[in-house]
Amino acid sequence: MDPVEPMQTQLLTATGRETMKKLLISLAVLLITAVSAQAGPEEDRMAFIKYYKSKFPNVPMEEYANGAYAIDPVGRENWEAIEEFPPYEPFIDRGQVMWETPFANGKGYKDCFPDGPVIAHHYPHWDKKQKMVMTLPLALNQCREANGEKPLKYKKGPINNILSYIAFQSRGQVVNVKVPMDDPDAVAAYEDGKKFYFTRRGQLNFSCASCHVQNTGLKVRTEILSPSVGHVTHWPTYRSKVDWSTVGTLHRRFTGCNKNIRAKPMKAQGPEYRNLEYFLSYLSNGLELNGPGARK
Amino acid sequence: MSLLDKHSIRQSENLERTMKSVQRWVAAAIVIGLMVGSTALLAGEMKVDAATASEAIAQAEAAQKKADSVNGEWRDTGKFIKNAKKAAEAGDYAKAIRLAKKAESEGNLGYQQAVSQSELKIPSYFKAMYQ
Ligand code: HEC
Repeated sequence: MDPVEPMQTQLLTATGRETMKKLLISLAVLLITAVSAQAGPEEDRMAFIKYYKSKFPNVPMEEYANGAYAIDPVGRENWEAIEEFPPYEPFIDRGQVMWETPFANGKGYKDCFPDGPVIAHHYPHWDKKQKMVMTLPLALNQCREANGEKPLKYKKGPINNILSYIAFQSRGQVVNVKVPMDDPDAVAAYEDGKKFYFTRRGQLNFSCASCHVQNTGLKVRTEILSPSVGHVTHWPTYRSKVDWSTVGTLHRRFTGCNKNIRAKPMKAQGPEYRNLEYFLSYLSNGLELNGPGARK
Repeated sequence: MSLLDKHSIRQSENLERTMKSVQRWVAAAIVIGLMVGSTALLAGEMKVDAATASEAIAQAEAAQKKADSVNGEWRDTGKFIKNAKKAAEAGDYAKAIRLAKKAESEGNLGYQQAVSQSELKIPSYFKAMYQ
């Protein structure tokens, strides 16, 4: 036997082993990447909860429905004072009038929503027939249009009245968003919302996650950044900020957050924001609705 | 220390990721630098007139449209174009060209920003939560 041969074999196996090791490492890395990129809604929700729990170990789960006030004791004191004379109350009253007043054709919201105004917890949901995420504001406008009424604007104005009434009536209901995993379109809508959430935009190159995950608890100007678990429980929300001073919708808030990072906002109730709402709402599953809300 | 500073410090902790995005942004900066540089050079010889302004505005609008097609448009791009048009109408072609160039570069950057993220990537600070 050639004496060189075993040497060569040894060398070969050594490099072979090295290659094998590298391969295994890259496989493992791939696997980890694949796991987080393909995680389903429940894995996502658990990941968010795990993250916030490690950041704020003393905040009980139900407190997340109070947004930044769950983690900001000073802001909370102001907020509790404001809640003693809720600034959103007149809007609830106006919304009740809207709910009870028939349209020109004699029908009304009550005919579209025969189970009454306690419906906020049914939204957003996957609408199989229309193949899209159905939100409460969109459902209200579809009801109006089916009855020959003009749709309401989605960010400011009277839509907030009827939303305030429905939110108030729905207090205590539990967020229970479902993503039908056997429907690829529904899963795609959820994934689209998740991608929007993690995509950096605008001149500042921030994603929703940059502020509401990575920097939760830190201050931006005068405000503490809230966790995204709990983001959807309390809409519409009264903001005392000068350019609000009224109740506004969730999509108005999305618009503001997009503008802050100098990105062009999407259309309120367009597919991007509805899909984002779908993803964001799933994260709040299990929390009680407590709208309308009051915030800075 | 502002959030932006904290943000960049945190970012630099993840060297590899930062390198990748730095490379991307440097590449973008070079492209834009070249564009700005060449326009500056050209501006010396180029006429600052209505035709040049309207050409610059057309290019800005094309870049804006491209960014919008991937949902990557920035907040003020449209405003710059609108103001460029106003300036051109008022005969201030230098201002019109300057604003149009700014809008064009924003359009290009917004487009690149969006397409560079066409695949969802869970950020490093969050990945571990899935284990
Ligand atoms: C530059 C940081 C920043 C980014 C990026 C950002 N937000 Fe915000 N967001 C804020 C601030 C500041 C507030 C007000 C304080 C708070 O409640 O967090 C806020 C509030 C909110 C609220 C209301 C919370 C409440 O309790 O009423 C929601 C919902 C929200 N953001 C969603 C989003 C979404 C979705 C995105 C991505 C499209 C996003 N934000 C991106 C800074 C940001």
